[in-house]
Order: sequence, then structure tokens, then C-alpha cells
Amino acid sequence: MPVWLREHSWRQTLTAVYLSLPLRGARATPANIFCGEQYLKVSIPPFLFEAILYAPIDDTNSTAKIGNGNIFFTLYKKEPALWDSLTLANADKEKLQYLRENAVLKAQEKAKEETEAKKITKQEHKKYALEATMKLEEAERKRIEALKEKERQKVAKELELWKNQQKDSDKYKSIQKKEELHQEIEPLEERKNEKMNKTRIPNEGSSKTRLKSTRGCHGSCSIFSQNLKEEQLPAPRVAATIKVNFTPRVFPTALRESRVAEEEEWLHKQAEARRIINSDLSELEDLKEEEKNPDWLKDKGNKMFAMGDYLGAVNAYNLAVRLNNKLPLLYLNRAACHLKLRNLHKAIEDSSKALELLTPPVPDNENARVKAHVRRGTAFCQLELYTEGLQDYEAALKIDPRNKILEKDAEKIRHLIQGTMQSS
Amino acid sequence: MSAVLGAERPQVVSHVQQALSYTVFDCKWVPRSARLLCLGSAARGTGVLQLYELHGARLELLREIEKPKPIKCGTFGATSLQQRYLATGDFDGNLNIWNLEAPEIPVYSVKGHKEIINSIDGVGGLGIGEGAPEIVTGSRDGTVKVWDPRQNDTPVASMEPVQGESKRDCWTVAFGNAYNQEERVVCAGYDNGDIKLFDLKTMSLQWETNIKNGVCSVEFDRKDINMNKLVATSLEGKFHVFDMRTQHPTKGFASVSEKAQKSTIWQVRHLPQNRDIFMTSGGSGSLHLWKYEYPAQRSKKDSEGSEMGVAGSLSLLQNVTLSTQPISSLDWSPDKKGLCVCGSFDQTVRVLIVTKLNKI
Repeated sequence: MPVWLREHSWRQTLTAVYLSLPLRGARATPANIFCGEQYLKVSIPPFLFEAILYAPIDDTNSTAKIGNGNIFFTLYKKEPALWDSLTLANADKEKLQYLRENAVLKAQEKAKEETEAKKITKQEHKKYALEATMKLEEAERKRIEALKEKERQKVAKELELWKNQQKDSDKYKSIQKKEELHQEIEPLEERKNEKMNKTRIPNEGSSKTRLKSTRGCHGSCSIFSQNLKEEQLPAPRVAATIKVNFTPRVFPTALRESRVAEEEEWLHKQAEARRIINSDLSELEDLKEEEKNPDWLKDKGNKMFAMGDYLGAVNAYNLAVRLNNKLPLLYLNRAACHLKLRNLHKAIEDSSKALELLTPPVPDNENARVKAHVRRGTAFCQLELYTEGLQDYEAALKIDPRNKILEKDAEKIRHLIQGTMQSS
Repeated sequence: MSAVLGAERPQVVSHVQQALSYTVFDCKWVPRSARLLCLGSAARGTGVLQLYELHGARLELLREIEKPKPIKCGTFGATSLQQRYLATGDFDGNLNIWNLEAPEIPVYSVKGHKEIINSIDGVGGLGIGEGAPEIVTGSRDGTVKVWDPRQNDTPVASMEPVQGESKRDCWTVAFGNAYNQEERVVCAGYDNGDIKLFDLKTMSLQWETNIKNGVCSVEFDRKDINMNKLVATSLEGKFHVFDMRTQHPTKGFASVSEKAQKSTIWQVRHLPQNRDIFMTSGGSGSLHLWKYEYPAQRSKKDSEGSEMGVAGSLSLLQNVTLSTQPISSLDWSPDKKGLCVCGSFDQTVRVLIVTKLNKI
């Protein structure tokens, strides 16, 4: 049950009501006050003050001042009249309830309306701001355009001026040339007449050439000077060829064509593989220095294979693999030995291991990959697993499509498969 | 990089734009005039030559000439100022020299290469440089050939791969060092990044290097002086400026390189009136204007006492994007400072004016 606050004091004027409500030690905040048109409530749990006012008030303009353990209400009346009392006297419970609910509803509606109005004003403000910025930007753009236009016009004018200058100077030059030509023709005729009179033939030639040379300096348009200029040019060069070499690259493709990342990876792997791994097998101490070198062992193995000593070759490769198990060529060659020894499963294993080590697939390790596929394919065929064998042959053909032997072998296998299928 | 004040920076103003009905591969100013030439390939596979004149704010078409094969490149470099013959290289490997007044029959014609002539340059004409006028062509068949218009059918010099060597496309050629009648040098750039410098006086390879990416364009800053600077542009937005005054016996020439545009740099052209300013055009349709600054000392001695060049520094003066397609050709007017024409693969040729170059 709330504790009702009944000690309130009030006074009124024609237009306003002043209500003073002492709080018994409770602290009030604006949230605790609820004011409707004809209903006033202050609820500070457990205290409660409620009043159904005598007449409606203007609740938007009315104020409440909280302070000094007191709430001081200034309520402006809707109709200026003197109230008999602050509250309605004969208020029954139902009416009270009704009035309360009404007040609450009205307050809610007002709140909604207020938010709506706020939203609308906000939107309008935004629109206005947008328009203002747009105008500013337009102005800026126009200013820049105007500057550019001015530049353009200035520059166009200069260009016209220059063009006219060119035309004038061209005209001037052509006039000059005509004058010069005239000048040249006249003394030439004079000279001709002189020639008729004088009989000094050898001097003639020299004087004429002298004339030519002086004129050659003046007009550049006359035919005489043209010939002279040609004589001044050096003869065409003696024909010669310069042979060039183009920069070699590890991979013969230009930067834009190569798959640099993959190729770098492959090179890196190769470099790593060549670094000998130190293994601390005690048997190795018995071996000579060169026998600890996988490359030397590989060469030894190759020689033995060439001579037909397949078991010896396998031993050499085994030791090499123990020293460095990252060299794909070791597995590749050991696979060839196993093929000869008819250890077909081991051949397949070794070819597979070699192929694993030969990733990423780059043009550099094409040959090795073709060999690995062929050896594995052969092993499969000898085990009568023809389909797997064919797969390997086809992979080899994909890498090296121009190999005729591969093609023939693949054909043979296909025939075999078809033959077995037909018979089964 | 030195800072240039915002208001004083050169501006690239687009003066005229002309839409063409063919793909333009090269555009050149006709020397001593306000006329320009556009060379290209029409859709039906024939070559087109168009001569325009600049009238105020528009280009007026004066002549249109059609040739059986598409034309890739052209130069006025090897003719005299009176004749102004145009030398062109076409898609079939033919080198032709045309008199534009009478373009039906070429003045000189030779089937110089087995494949497209990618680049052509001329020296000895236009009053620039000394010595015989010569034309150099670089082709996709990996050879670079030097021609003299007075000698028919055979080149006066040929740079070809050694027998059995796989060939690499030659993408660009340039003449340089033609400061007297004997000296001349040809620089060639290839698609694997090789740059080779051939000395024509001694008929030998003077220097070579590799810049890892295909070389799209090489140019000396001036053809007719003791070779000073060489700019080589490449794919992937990089270009190198070599200081050619000092050649070290093993290290070659000093260089500075810049990565400017994210795309291929198709062309570099030096301003004829100022050899330290050049413009690069890129695959993203942009143009960059650069200035090279020399270092305090152009050469220094290395640990063994041999002279080594010191490269300077580059500063970007201005850049502008004109098109969405690559700008494949660029030419400065030799008569008006700042006037240039560029042709791009969106079938447009644009005349631009670069302002404030006097203040640089």
C-alpha cells in the first residue's frame, strides 16, 4: 500500500495554480512526476500523491520545480477562473479510474506526436543541409570550369597568333625566294653574254662553280644548291650486320609470361635438395669421403645400371637415399633398376615418390616427369593393371605430346585393354 | 623530388578532340606547320593516312589516303624541310617513303622485314643532326635494320639474332648521338626487357642491359648531340632514365627508375624545346609530365678508379587522365612549345596544350 502524501498547500490566481508538495525526505526526479490535462501524480515509492484537478490545465506549459525537499508546481489554467478547490470533490472510484487512464493515454499520444514532429523536422533539416552542400559543390565546380575555360581561351588565342605568324613568315620567305631567283637569273644572263664575248673556256667552268657556291649559301630553294647539298652528304654506309644475343633466363620466357612463383619454388627445392643432410648413422663412419656424397653415389649407380649390375645400382641408390632423401632423380633411377629386376611394386613406389618430389610442375622438370610416368606405366602393365598403366602413359603424353614412342606404346595398351574386355 | 607550387604547375589543356573511324597507331606533326598526320588501320584491314590542319578549335581534314596494308608507325626524321617526306612502316614489314603531295606511288619502298614493323625512327633530316639521313626500323621478327633512302633494297646496317638463337620481338628503336657526320647510335628495346645500344660507326654492340619487363618505348633526349640521356619505358608502369654521358666498363650506364602508372607506359617523348622535360603516356589513358634534375656531380670514380655515372632525380610536374583506353602515340610540335598531339585506342586523336612550360 503506498503512503499517501496529503500535506500539500496551494494558492491560485485567475490564470495559474501554485501547488507546493513537501516530500518527506524522499528524493524526486522528473521521472516521478506525471501530469495530464486534469490529472497530476507524483509517485516516489513508497510515497504517492494523486490529484484530479478541478479544471483542465495546460500541461505543456506548466512547470514543476524540485528542490529543498519540496516540489513546487506552477500549473497554468486552461480557462481563467477561480477554482473552488484544488481537486474535484465528489470523485468516485470509477471516475477516478477513467480519468487516470485517459490521462495516461493522452500523455502517450502526445509523446507519439512529439516524436513524429521531431522526425519530420529532422528530415527537413537534413534535406536542407544536403541542398546547401550541393549548391556549394556546384559553385566550386563552376569556378574550376571557368578557370579552365579561361586558360583554354588564352592558349587558343596564342595558338592562332603563332599560326598567323607562321603564315606571314612563310609568305615572306616565298617572296624572298622569288626575289632571289630573279637576282640569280639576271647576273646569270649577264654572264652568258659575257661568255659569248670572251673566249676563256677554262675559266668559265671555275667562275660558274664559284657563282654556284655563293648562291648555294643564299637561297635554299634553288636547284643549284640542292645538288651541292647532296654532294656534302656522306655516301651511304657500307652495309654490315651486327649479330645479337638475347639475355638468357633460367626459364626462357619474358617476365610477363612466366609463372615466376612456381618456378622459384622449384628452384628453391632443388637447391635445398642439394644440400647434404648430415645423418649420424654409425655405419657411415666406415665409408670414404666420396661415398658420403649422394651425387657421387648416383653417378656410381648410373654406371652400374649401364653395365647391367642392377643389384649394385640399387645398393648405391639406397645409400644415396639414406643420405639425402629429397633428390627425385635417385628415386627415378632406382625405379628403372627395379623394373629391370622385375620388382614391379617397388618400381611403382619409387616412381610415385619421384613424381611427388617433382612438384610443382614446371618446364624444367618435364623430362624427369615424363620418365617417371613412363616407368610407372610400364610397371603397371607388367602387373597387368593396364588401365592404370594407360593413365600414366597418357599423363606422359600430356607433358610431351610429340613423343612417337609414347604414342605407340599407349596405342598398344589400349588395344590390350580392348582385347581383354572383349574376351572377358 | 622538388615541389612545384600549385599555381605554377604546367597544366595540360585539351584543345581539340577528333573522333576517328579507324584505329590510330601513330600521330605526327608535319614540321613547320600546324598540320598533323594520323596513321592507322581501318576496320577492313587497310591502312589509313589522314592529314589534318588545326583551325581554331577544330581539326579540318585536308587529305585522306588509303593504302593496302595497315600502317603502324611513321616519321619525318629523315627528310629535308622542303620535301617533308613521310617514312612509314606497315603491318606487313614494308618500309615506304611517301611524298604527301603525290601519295599514289612511294618515293622509296622496300619489304624490309618478314613481320610487322613495330617502330621507326629517322635522323639526319629536318635540319637536325649531321650526316646522311637514315631510317631505322624494328620489327617483330627480332631484327633492327638501318636504311639509307639512296640505297635501294638492302639495309646499310642490320642487327639480327645469332643463328639458332630464338628471336625476341623488337618493340622500339631510336637514333641518338648523331652530333657529327660519322657518329651515330641506335638503341633498340625488346619484349623480354633487353635494351641494346649499337654503335653504327664501329658497327658493334656498345652496351646492353635487361630491365626485366618488355621495353615499350626508348628515346634519347636529343638525337643530334653527344648522347646525354635515354629514357626507356616498360610494361607494369616502370620507366628508367639512363645517364649516357659516362659508360662504366662493367656496370654500363647509371640509371634512375620510377614506377608511375599501374599500367604499361606506351610512349615517352621529350619536349623538343627543353630536353629535361618529357611526357609518358600510359595504358590507363593518362599522361604524366616529368622533369629530370641533374645530380650535383654527373660522374664519380668508383673503387678501381674508373669513371661511373651518377643518375639524377625525377619530379612529376603534372598528370592528367584523358581517356579510358591506352594512349599509344604522342608527339610534341617542334614549332610551338607545349603543343602536342596524342592518339589513343578509343579512336580519338587529341591536340593538347601544356601551359607554363616557360616557367620550368
